[in-house]
Amino acid sequence: MSRLKKGFSGNNPIGYLFVAPSMIGIGLFYLVPAVMSFVMMFTDYSFMDKGGLHFTGLDNFNRLMEDASFHNAVGKTFIFLMTVPVSILLSFPIAYALNQSVYWSKLLRTLYFLPYIMNGVAIAFVWMLLFHPGQGPINATLRLIGISNPPGWMAQTDTAIFAVAIIHIWIMVGYNMIIYLAGLQDVPKELVEASRMDGARFWHTIRYVTVPLVSPTTFLLLITGFISAIKTFGIIQATTGGGPGESTSVLSIYIYKTAFRYYEMGYASAISWVLFAIVMLVMLLNWIGQKRWVHY
Amino acid sequence: MNTITAAGGTGRREKRGPVLRKWVLTLVMTAFGLIMLLPFAWMISTSFKTPLEVFRFPIQWIPDEIVWKHHEKVWTGPGNFVSYYVNSLKVSVISTVGAVAFAALAAYGFSRVKFRGRDAMFFIYLSMMMVPPQILFVPKFVLFDWMGIYNSHLALILPGMFTIFGVFLLRQFFITVPHEISEAAFIDGAGHPKIFWHIILPLAKGPLATLTILDFSWHWNDYENALIFLIDKNLYTVPLGLQNFVLENSVDYNGMMAAATAAMIPMILVFLLGQRFIIEGIANGAVKG
Repeated sequence: MSRLKKGFSGNNPIGYLFVAPSMIGIGLFYLVPAVMSFVMMFTDYSFMDKGGLHFTGLDNFNRLMEDASFHNAVGKTFIFLMTVPVSILLSFPIAYALNQSVYWSKLLRTLYFLPYIMNGVAIAFVWMLLFHPGQGPINATLRLIGISNPPGWMAQTDTAIFAVAIIHIWIMVGYNMIIYLAGLQDVPKELVEASRMDGARFWHTIRYVTVPLVSPTTFLLLITGFISAIKTFGIIQATTGGGPGESTSVLSIYIYKTAFRYYEMGYASAISWVLFAIVMLVMLLNWIGQKRWVHY
Repeated sequence: MNTITAAGGTGRREKRGPVLRKWVLTLVMTAFGLIMLLPFAWMISTSFKTPLEVFRFPIQWIPDEIVWKHHEKVWTGPGNFVSYYVNSLKVSVISTVGAVAFAALAAYGFSRVKFRGRDAMFFIYLSMMMVPPQILFVPKFVLFDWMGIYNSHLALILPGMFTIFGVFLLRQFFITVPHEISEAAFIDGAGHPKIFWHIILPLAKGPLATLTILDFSWHWNDYENALIFLIDKNLYTVPLGLQNFVLENSVDYNGMMAAATAAMIPMILVFLLGQRFIIEGIANGAVKG
């Protein structure tokens, strides 16, 4: 019994051996860089002149205030966040239908989910051609249905952000659907049946029974969706590289350019902490909102 | 007599109604699903067309003549996909093996061994999970340059061997294994390493497979790290190689689609083989990146 006690309670140093390799790696590739970044945001560190660290206090943040490219990036990031509610709205009916009795539901689930696991860069290039302003199949279809002057999509500054947003929505619908399917499976069938028995119409059952019961899932999808939308980089960098002009330069693109095109690494660090602050803000807002409209 | 037939009639209609509805719903959902996949169909179809047929409208899904030369160009031309595949396989396999092994060890430590400071350490993991990758790229660049691994596969492999998500996923499972099992083994004289290897790991085959497949697909699809940390073309992984192909062949739309197809093939295979595990992992909170 004393042996057992030694093994499972109190302090068994063998635990350190189990977590050590992971701890060292996480320390070296997450914790240390995070601390470095925190320090660097108060410097004018540039990789080009390896002159060491010059602390410039809050200079980077004063610069942010005046930097029109940064303001543009924040604005574009918030536009891009609109993809989250849209893809959630699109995915719910799909999940709802697949959760009902359909044939070959597993196969259908696969169809909708496929875009999510595919290589983002490859997807980006396919859509780049689909959106080809002159001859692409999307605009050819739009002309066919009577829109004689369809948008230039990625070639046009006022539509490029929507073109990349559409790609992101297309990717995320399948992911949201999978999570909704898991959530819908937790909705007690008796509740839905009871409401049908009471003569509730189809729409009313959805509105007053199903939607409230999956609201924790919706909430989860909002948080994870916002966070992954804020971090989205590949499909934008590969298709437009932030352009034309700065029309798709969301924060993640602007950080990349500032750091690895202009090598202004101190300034880029400061911007990346703004991105972090937005992530935190989103989580806080969601957390407050959750109390108001999530019904368990 | 009348009532019986009437009852039988409604009974059959009630049966037929749902079946019909089920078929209608199935067909509608299949149609939508196929529309979702049109970009993939267009990609494959275009990769077998002649340049003149690319933007022909209405879309000609099956070309008059199947043209293989775009795929040949992708696989045999200068800077071909064979070397990108080799690089991607090397990076993805080594990263994934390391990530799964280290995550399993750490998850065991965090869930089934008690030691001082354990909760504090786990809190560090929790907080690091919140840190977006954008914060880490700049300092990692400086750090890797200093370590001398910038512009080498190690810049992708070393950080790739550590996954916070993996530790969470496996810990979540290890916690559910009843403690009586390890206590019994302990009384029989087994220590923690033996319990980990002979009892817990065999029980965790499902979660281990989930982590392996998800982690592999993330490494295979990883574009951002490769873009930042690799310069030499002979080191390029598939996403960078694809981008390079597009830059060098910006008007060869057929070639671009053949290259995009080449980049997707392994993921299609992985997905078909491990779909169950991927979907399980996604439903358990795995988020890309």
